[in-house]
Amino acid sequence: MKPQLTLQTPLELPYQEISNYLNKLWISEDKDNSGANTFTLMVWQPAWLEQCLVQKGLVNGPITGNLSPEIIKVAKKFILDQGLPITTSLNSEELLNLLKENLSNEDFEDFRGQFFESSISTLNPRRLITLAPTINKNSDIKTFVSAYCPLSDTQAMQPICGDLVVIRGDSASISNKGLKIIDELSIDELPAWLWWNGSLDESPEIFEYFTNYGLRLIIDTALGSPQRCLKVLDQLNNLNKAINDLNWVRLKNWRESLAMIFDPPSRRPILDHITDIDIDIAGDHMIQALFLISWISDKLGWSFLRVERDTELTKIEFERINGEIISASINPLSLGNPSIHLGQVIGLRLISKISEVQKNNTCVILGCESVECMRLEAGGMADMELIEQVVPNSFSTSEYDVSKLLGSSRGNTSPLFENSIKIALQIFNGLNN
Amino acid sequence: MPSTLSNPLRLGLRQERVISPQCLVIFGASGDLTHRKLIPALFELYLQRRIPSEFGIVGCARRPWTDNEFREKMKVKLSNQISGKEREWEQFSNYLFYEPVDLQQSDHVVRLSRRLNEIDKTQATHGNRTFYLSVSPNFYASGCKALKAAGLLDDPKKSRLVIEKPFGRDYSSAKKLNKIVQSCAEESQIYRIDHYLGKETVQNILVLRFANTIFEPIWNRNYISSVQITSSETVGVEDRAGYYESSGALRDMLQNHMTQMLAVTAMEPPGRFEPEAIRNEKAKVLQASKLANENEPWNCCIRGQYGEGGNISNRLKGYRQEDGVNCNSTTETYIATKIFVDNWRWQGVPFYLRTGKRLPKRLGEIVLTFKDVPVHLFESTIINPVSNQLILRIQPNEGATFKFEVKSPGSGMKSRPVEMEFSYDESFGEPSDEGYVRLLADAMLSDPTLFTRSDEVEAAWKLYTPLIELMDNSPWKLPIYNYESMTWGPPESDQFISKDNIFWRRP
Ligand SMILES: NC(=O)c1ccc[n+]([C@@H]2O[C@H](COP(=O)([O-])OP(=O)(O)OC[C@H]3O[C@@H](n4cnc5c(N)ncnc54)[C@H](OP(=O)(O)O)[C@@H]3O)[C@@H](O)[C@H]2O)c1
Repeated sequence: MKPQLTLQTPLELPYQEISNYLNKLWISEDKDNSGANTFTLMVWQPAWLEQCLVQKGLVNGPITGNLSPEIIKVAKKFILDQGLPITTSLNSEELLNLLKENLSNEDFEDFRGQFFESSISTLNPRRLITLAPTINKNSDIKTFVSAYCPLSDTQAMQPICGDLVVIRGDSASISNKGLKIIDELSIDELPAWLWWNGSLDESPEIFEYFTNYGLRLIIDTALGSPQRCLKVLDQLNNLNKAINDLNWVRLKNWRESLAMIFDPPSRRPILDHITDIDIDIAGDHMIQALFLISWISDKLGWSFLRVERDTELTKIEFERINGEIISASINPLSLGNPSIHLGQVIGLRLISKISEVQKNNTCVILGCESVECMRLEAGGMADMELIEQVVPNSFSTSEYDVSKLLGSSRGNTSPLFENSIKIALQIFNGLNN
Repeated sequence: MPSTLSNPLRLGLRQERVISPQCLVIFGASGDLTHRKLIPALFELYLQRRIPSEFGIVGCARRPWTDNEFREKMKVKLSNQISGKEREWEQFSNYLFYEPVDLQQSDHVVRLSRRLNEIDKTQATHGNRTFYLSVSPNFYASGCKALKAAGLLDDPKKSRLVIEKPFGRDYSSAKKLNKIVQSCAEESQIYRIDHYLGKETVQNILVLRFANTIFEPIWNRNYISSVQITSSETVGVEDRAGYYESSGALRDMLQNHMTQMLAVTAMEPPGRFEPEAIRNEKAKVLQASKLANENEPWNCCIRGQYGEGGNISNRLKGYRQEDGVNCNSTTETYIATKIFVDNWRWQGVPFYLRTGKRLPKRLGEIVLTFKDVPVHLFESTIINPVSNQLILRIQPNEGATFKFEVKSPGSGMKSRPVEMEFSYDESFGEPSDEGYVRLLADAMLSDPTLFTRSDEVEAAWKLYTPLIELMDNSPWKLPIYNYESMTWGPPESDQFISKDNIFWRRP
């Protein structure tokens, strides 16, 4: 991986001067080097949890914006110490409110926006803008700039440089002044991305500002309440906005593994006789499972019939074009050490009944661990032909997933995702009516 | 509605790299290759949604077509592929433009440059360009120079140059051409096409070798006794006699495609999967390759030419009777050769390469034959136990077969050979892309992995220099043997390798 070199230590400037300063910087530089012809990336980087933990003295500063293993460990311990349920999300309001009690209100060193994981910096962003809201309610806006050049280890070519801007302050000052700066900093001819690296529940007015702006959006629907997340997806979809959701991206292994099972043509008929689908998820946040079931039903041409909640379980029915019914269920499990992302799929079972004779039928099981596969095997599955596969959940960081999107996507909403959103909404609305 | 024909869950799942906005300029746009391979490949990329909306394809040749004429001609030529996808074609054809250019007239290229600037504006292609030389090899050098002179190759990050085969006629002409091309563009801008490298199955050799632990330890002289590489065609020279007469099987197939297959089969593992690392290893192995006996090249090669053949209902002409072929032609339509790779891994293992036209089957395969067991403990049900073989099928019926001995059922302890089989069709059920789809996309993505670098091309020509010199200076030492159409080449070819106690595999 290529390390990132910052040419200057970030320079603090009054916010009114930022855009002027950057314009001059690029003119005074070597005239052949007018900066990388790539993209602008804006990051909403609240890092509330980290800010609280640093303020509380539970982890050492400076604040970085990276969800480090240490932060996760300390936060999980805090959850247990406070007697909160083990499935509590690291972004839950309850947790943050507890953490916010008796904060010192001291200013800590804050490095947010000054370092990026190499997977992102290798892509040579032309401009990186970080919005770093502080928990301290009365800190006025501060802005920093710096030019950077990624070091290339392959060619001795002149590095192509970019710049980074950090806008820090309390939410109000970011709304009032910060967004104006962003206006001035836009580079018209380059695509611009916004990565909303926080819960969709918070700062809706800032989020809305960005969605009106025509950016390519990267969000994570595992952060934020399912209601709010689906509402946002619905609105964005109706407005034809480009959406990328890390919660959908993290399903990639599941989609790929399931498709792989049906690559051999001899197995295709199984798909036409599916009667049951069961999905296990970790924790009670059903969006990712909804995406998975919606994708399957979309690809197999089923239509949604009805949904009901049976205590914890969500039961959904689909209908095949020939009138046959498919029953699906989403089953939240509480795990000892849940993922930092709520509601990640951990198991999937498909049952396909071709005949009355059990052993001619097929049961396809995907599990994130072999224990999960064995769990799904229980209850007579072993009488059928079993196809099993372990699908390890990906442990890549959000930064890495984002870099994949920046590097590969045209920025538009993936058609598979678009269709899944529509079906997921139907199901979710069915549940709330 | 789900169908059992294609895997519905697979649809839209492949995540391909996105081609960045650019103009693809094809020289030779009115030629055979453009409508047979290039435009179909581009249309396929379009159907796979891999073409960005900011894109343009500018066809160039001498004839004075307009944009619309070009679109119409391509539509007619591609009618089979378009059928059922007329709407998509209409949208795709908006990307097609045409500019009359004679590559030998510098002012034409300057005019083209202005046109490209205009297209940059309407298509938002940012001056990013790929130039594809699909013209006669006589124009490669002058074409590069003209592009250079018009300033079209100046920015190494924004311009790429794709060059078709054949790259040179021999070692010295290839070297000379490399020199000219490299004086016009940096090596990193140059993409020399060998469409065999675009084939999924050729790339699979790398995956098979380097993504599994079981093959690499035995992939060497300690376990492998010989390697055969075959590429056979059933067709004759068809309507390309003009080209073929001056080329022959050595230049048309052996020096490029077959030798590239040799390189991927024999190369050392690269340190990482990066273009230069891979091309370094390929170049190294080609540089280590030699004819089995360089001092007596006539003992390392058999040439043949197809005579009449076929059956009563379908008589086939001999090569010399084909339209456009000299009736005394000494062009080889079949060639077989024996090569050693002089390095630690392969010392003493013969590589037999053969290729020909009008052979009984269309096929490409690589056969690795393993050494015999030291002691035969078991009697075989057939006369001799067969050595283990790994057969990599490049085309058709792409896949791999492993042949080994098992106990024959019954009370005795006799052994018999069986086959373990992997077939792309049975496992994936989806046809792989035509080589040009992959290669065009890779060139536009600036990924040179599957293109041959200057040193590879030169090493491949150098390998065959003793044969080429012999053919030029004392052809009687390398006679052309006649073979009946639809047979496996001249009988001399069988004798050629049976001297080594080896037989061509009959596929
Ligand atoms: N066809 C194949 O299957 C095949 C396979 C492998 C490799 N290749 C290689 O691909 C290249 C093209 O082959 P092809 O079969 O398409 O040849 P072709 O049918 O003879 O076409 C040659 C093209 O070049 C154009 N042309 C000739 N002189 C020109 C000039 N001075 N300036 C600009 N354009 C000129 C011709 O159009 P105008 O007459 O209108 O100028 C025509 O479009 C060759 O290098 C060949 O070796 C072909």
